Amino acid sequence: MVPAATTAWALSQAPGVVAGSPARLHIPWAREFHLVLAFRMDVLGLVMTLIAAGIGTLILIYCARYFTDAEPGLGRFAGVLTAFAGSMMGLVLADDLIQLYIYWELTTVFSYLLIGHYTERRDSRRAAMTALTVTTLGGLAMLTGAVMLGESAGSYLISDLLADPPSGPLVSTALVLILAGALSKSAITPFSLWLPAAMQAPTPVSGYLHAAAMVKAGVYLIARLAPAFNDVAVWQYTTLALGTVTMVAAGWTALRQNDLKLLLAYGTVSQLGFLTALLGAGTRDAALAGLAMLCAHAVFKAPLFLVVGIIDHSTGTRDLRELSGLRTSMPVVFWTSVLAAASMAGLPPMAGFAAKEAAFGALVHAGGPLYTAALAGVVLGSVFTVGYSLRFLWGAFFTKPEVPTTPVHTPDALFVAPAVVLAALGTIGGPLAAAVDPVLAEYADTVAFNAGNDPAHLALWHGLNLPLVLSLLCVLGGLGLFGARSAVAWAGNRFEFTDPHTIYRRALSGVNTFAIQVTGSTQRGSLPLYLGTILISLLAVSAAMIVRGPIWGIDLPPVRIWDSPLQLIPAAVIVVAALWALLVRSRLFAVVLVGVTGYGTATLFLLHGGPDLALTQFLVETVSLVAFVLVLRRLPARFSTPVLRTRRLANLVIGAATGLLVATMAYVALAGRQTEAISHGMPAAAEEAGGHNIISVILVDLRAWDTMGEISVLAVAGAGVASLMFVRRRALPTRLRLRASREQSAVLLPTTPVPSAAPADSAQAPWRPSALQFAPRQLSVQARWNPIWLTGALTLSAERRSIVFEVIARLLFPVIIVLSLFLLVTGHSQVGGGFAGGIVAGLGLMVRYLAGGRYELYAASPVTPGVLIGLGLATATATAVAGAVIGTEVLQAGTWDLHLPLMEPVHLSSTLLFDFGVYLLVIGLILDILRSLGARIDEQLEEHPKTGRTDQAEEATA
Amino acid sequence: MSGILHYLVPLPVVLPLLSAGVQFAFRGRVALVQRSISIATLSAVLLTGLVLMVGTDTYGPQAVHVGGWTAPIGIALVADRLSALMVTVSSAITLAVMVYSIGQGMADKNEAAPVAVYHPTYLILTAGISDAFLAGDLFNMYVGFEILLTASYVLLTLGGTQARIRAGATYVVVSLLSSLIFLITVGLAYAATGTVNLAQMSVRLAGVPDELRPVLQVMLLTAFAIKAAMFPLSAWLPDSYPIAPAPITAVFAGLLTKVGVYAIIRTQTLLFPGDTVNDLLMWAALATMLMGILGAIAQTDIKRLLSFTLVSHIGYMVFGIALGSVHGMAGAVFYVAHHITVQTTLFLVTGLIERRGGSTSLPDLGGLAKLSPVLGILFFLPAMNLAGIPPLSGFLGKLGLMQAGVQQGTPLAYLLVAGSVLTSLLTLYAIAKTWNYAFWRAPAAGAVAAPGTVLETSEDTAPTSAFGPISQAVGPSSRVRSSANRSATFGGNPIVTSETLPPSMLAATIALVAMGVAFTVLAGPLIEYSAQTAAEIMAQTPYIDSVFPGGVA
Repeated sequence: MVPAATTAWALSQAPGVVAGSPARLHIPWAREFHLVLAFRMDVLGLVMTLIAAGIGTLILIYCARYFTDAEPGLGRFAGVLTAFAGSMMGLVLADDLIQLYIYWELTTVFSYLLIGHYTERRDSRRAAMTALTVTTLGGLAMLTGAVMLGESAGSYLISDLLADPPSGPLVSTALVLILAGALSKSAITPFSLWLPAAMQAPTPVSGYLHAAAMVKAGVYLIARLAPAFNDVAVWQYTTLALGTVTMVAAGWTALRQNDLKLLLAYGTVSQLGFLTALLGAGTRDAALAGLAMLCAHAVFKAPLFLVVGIIDHSTGTRDLRELSGLRTSMPVVFWTSVLAAASMAGLPPMAGFAAKEAAFGALVHAGGPLYTAALAGVVLGSVFTVGYSLRFLWGAFFTKPEVPTTPVHTPDALFVAPAVVLAALGTIGGPLAAAVDPVLAEYADTVAFNAGNDPAHLALWHGLNLPLVLSLLCVLGGLGLFGARSAVAWAGNRFEFTDPHTIYRRALSGVNTFAIQVTGSTQRGSLPLYLGTILISLLAVSAAMIVRGPIWGIDLPPVRIWDSPLQLIPAAVIVVAALWALLVRSRLFAVVLVGVTGYGTATLFLLHGGPDLALTQFLVETVSLVAFVLVLRRLPARFSTPVLRTRRLANLVIGAATGLLVATMAYVALAGRQTEAISHGMPAAAEEAGGHNIISVILVDLRAWDTMGEISVLAVAGAGVASLMFVRRRALPTRLRLRASREQSAVLLPTTPVPSAAPADSAQAPWRPSALQFAPRQLSVQARWNPIWLTGALTLSAERRSIVFEVIARLLFPVIIVLSLFLLVTGHSQVGGGFAGGIVAGLGLMVRYLAGGRYELYAASPVTPGVLIGLGLATATATAVAGAVIGTEVLQAGTWDLHLPLMEPVHLSSTLLFDFGVYLLVIGLILDILRSLGARIDEQLEEHPKTGRTDQAEEATA
Repeated sequence: MSGILHYLVPLPVVLPLLSAGVQFAFRGRVALVQRSISIATLSAVLLTGLVLMVGTDTYGPQAVHVGGWTAPIGIALVADRLSALMVTVSSAITLAVMVYSIGQGMADKNEAAPVAVYHPTYLILTAGISDAFLAGDLFNMYVGFEILLTASYVLLTLGGTQARIRAGATYVVVSLLSSLIFLITVGLAYAATGTVNLAQMSVRLAGVPDELRPVLQVMLLTAFAIKAAMFPLSAWLPDSYPIAPAPITAVFAGLLTKVGVYAIIRTQTLLFPGDTVNDLLMWAALATMLMGILGAIAQTDIKRLLSFTLVSHIGYMVFGIALGSVHGMAGAVFYVAHHITVQTTLFLVTGLIERRGGSTSLPDLGGLAKLSPVLGILFFLPAMNLAGIPPLSGFLGKLGLMQAGVQQGTPLAYLLVAGSVLTSLLTLYAIAKTWNYAFWRAPAAGAVAAPGTVLETSEDTAPTSAFGPISQAVGPSSRVRSSANRSATFGGNPIVTSETLPPSMLAATIALVAMGVAFTVLAGPLIEYSAQTAAEIMAQTPYIDSVFPGGVA
């Protein structure tokens, strides 16, 4: 009922609008992007509103009978149709180019949904897609044009544009783009293919969208902008030429259609061409005729579509070769069609006649070769129109001798009523033409240019003049064509235009093929290729900028080769190890060489006077090396065979060039420095913070925020490694095992029989894990009750055990832990810190694992790594929050002096707590690595000894 | 008010880290507690983001000197309009995805190990993202990147199926390379300027020789361009993202690339103003848009298709940046916010599609509009939004960019306008193709899996460890078998299709769809905010003054 209300509203506004005071509404939306909800209803808007809303109302009434209640998706259909009607209202009332585009595109989307209503039909889906892509193509062109126009005019308001049209070559381009949108929407050549295909839609949709409303949008846009741009040559030529060509070509095609709906569809395309030519012609009289024709077309084409729907519904077919005798069985429908078709053919006294007379008159009076050519085309097109109107009536209703009479079930009165109403409107429109004239002239007068003629008026009778003769000619020609219909059909097939669908489909498959080829060539799925691309891009853009500078234009200081010649030794070691690592084929050796470069770097740090950095670097290198080696147990011993020689060479060049780039830039960037580095302020800051070790102060105080971030990286890395290794059974088995051991340690202490470690004892029998694996209680044995140094080591095979190592590990472990705590506490003023301390403690665990195997590892740490990591992260971040709560800033350090009896006051800083968090987390991480890459891989190797390359593993860990 | 703001700035980083620590420490004891912590944390961050948005809009950029050490000695965190907007949008997204993934976890009965890792890792990811947005220090921004990347490595390979680990390898190695380039450039920038504080560096870089500065600029740009997936540095993305479980793909696709875009915006406007690389960026934007969307057209799998549209639409943002005008930047900022939301939503919907239809491969789908009308609406709205159908936000962003391009008026700018229009059309084509196939075809034509079907996985169902059998390299990925993308649960369990979608997954998706629509409804204030953001960052001084109220040393 929305359209009905709209119609009523529009009618209520009509007097004011006709009197020359348009209704307007302005709501600002987003000023920056020139978005405004602007609406304005003048005569053109009023006419379009009445057409869209009025016919919409009738169509909805018609729908109620067209569909049965059981129709699938009916609710959705009704919703979308109403939404479409709403967008159509917005389109014709918008006073802003962007607004107009918004509604424009909405009608496209809704029409996509409506055309594809029969979703399970392939043709229906395809037609919807075609309509969508073609009209969106035009729509986007139009949007571009609208933006260009709006930006050059400084306003997107249509009323502003009409009042003060911009000009220039840019505007002409913009207009061509806008025309592309208008033409695609109104299915004008070369965009006409989508409309006939869209006849897959249910008939009410065709009657509404493709006769009355949506296809008129393009024509409407032309009419809307014509007052401002009618004198732009490209505008005039395009509309006149394409309009006329479309009218003739589509009319010719309509003449040989057998599907009634397709016949009407081509007829519509033809009429839209006519309208485009008239409204774009640029004279006042043509605009008047165009608007009159627009109204006439709406009220004759819609009822014809509705009639087709009725016929289809009542007989089950709309092929005119199968229909016969409907004239007698459906008299009301027949006479309705006669009235509508007469208006279409332009017979007096119909509205179509008055409009066509005016059109001929306007083109005759305009003079000039362009208009004359257009007149000839229009007359030819009108001849075709008369021809296909007759073909429609004959095909749908007349009795054909060779076809049996079609059985009919009589349509409901309400079903037929909308068509009758519309056809009646078309009939009275003719005699009332003179009355309507002043209203329509309101719009036509906005087109200033009239080729020097007095303004014409709409009327049925202008006297005996050229237009009347032409009309007569059209009727006679049409009768002739109808008489010779079989010849016409033959000729039509003989001289067929290239089917635009073929072009469309070829273009589409071309795009698809192109897309697949392009994607296939860039998306190779090869990681080395991706890395190469990245590095080459880096090199290319950097080189371009280096040359552009050119960078060698900077004053470069002389190169200082060394600070002390001692640096040369580690430097040489690093270089040799790095190059060697490129050549070796053994993974293990490569890892060791990479480790050597790390130790070399650490030595350089030491020589530069950074013991902290050096210590940390050494520790990190060690842990990494162990982790690598643990992993290598499951990898092939050697790198895979090299790729093609050329590829290797290319990789070599890319790598060398990247290295050269980085080295050069490191040198040049330092040379380009103009100001002192902020690091000069750091010693003073460190003193202020109460620490003497700058590195440590930076880590836990000055840049503790970075540290906090980095430890979370460590936490996640640990979690990630674990989640990969324990895919689905992370915590459960491990925890169970541990819990079991803890519970039972209270009950069973020393009496538990120690299994002989290598039960088989014989060299030939392959080693198996001892029973311990299945009897966790035995783990509860505690070392001090037993002459065994590392209890977990019992599970190892005899040949893997080394008593010396076990003893050393056992003795060393507490020392290591104490050392790590010492490093932690003294970090603020001496060498050390939480990170280094944590790694040292982790190394202690590592030693125990290496000496005693995985059960020793489980025994060594009462808690799971996750807990340590979590507590560490929580401690550090909680300290950070406390800084803000107690002080004013996150991570602000607080100090307390702790007074204990018999002791010097202890100076405690919250940074120590932060560092403790780091310490815990690092231990947790190393524990996690050992459990995942060590213990878990042990398990895997034991489960699948063959795939595990056990031999190498032993070698590696030893 | 501005006093409170001061305390709020670090929260989007600290809160998730603290919660993650707690979750690690009490790993998986009570699933309900863990979920509550995650949701409460993310809600708090969202709230913080909203307050920051209002606050920075009223009081200007807020700088916090962490630990009380004033910049440049200490680290500064800066929340200006841009960072506040990014934090807010990203936390809204992460919250919704968290709710979705909890629903998915419950639906899959995945209570085992990988899920226990999931929550804290996810929180650390959000902390990293927030840190990258808030960092007022180039090195700290690098740290933020490291946090989010490391967390993303873990999330991508969760469940450890072979396909994921192989895809993860591509992702990890490429990301490491990008981090390395970033780190090297940080070092070089420190060498040249003697500082890593962004505000100070901005001032000092002006004094760096003109021959040197552009080289630093393009090196930094390259590092970020990899993260942002600009062509030709984008090939890694469609090969890795689609393999992850649906919610993870969603959050990666929505957010991680945008962190790269954010970094480009921040560094290009603050550190390297001027038009040195604008033409280069223009060409890159054009290539990204077109190559991306051509890639999308060539796909038959929805996830991969969406990954390519992701790459393609990064081009729009780069276009806005490359224009170098306030209007263009405003368009880019708005587009970033829009695109984060809509791209995430689409991936979540794809997860639901898989759950209902049993696949994300177009040949295997059909009739979904009939089988599940809700799914139809949930897909249609964001899909049309992505394609730039007015009046949805995708259109508004593109409109702003087109206007800026036309204002520029150079032939190259017009070429970009044409390219963006063409991309828009092709996006619509790709989307409509998906719609026609998956939603409109008769259900029988697509042979949708019956409810209750246990989806086959692409490989052995047994959990694979990091070291599966060494197999051949992945072939040209446009031809990767569609089944490789199946089996998208966290634990690597097969998915069971069902007729009713889990309510919390559905609710989260609906919320995001609504958020996408809200970008249109609230377009007025949002676009105003974007325009002010653009003006603020291009003026530079508000940012620098907030860090150094007394002028830069």
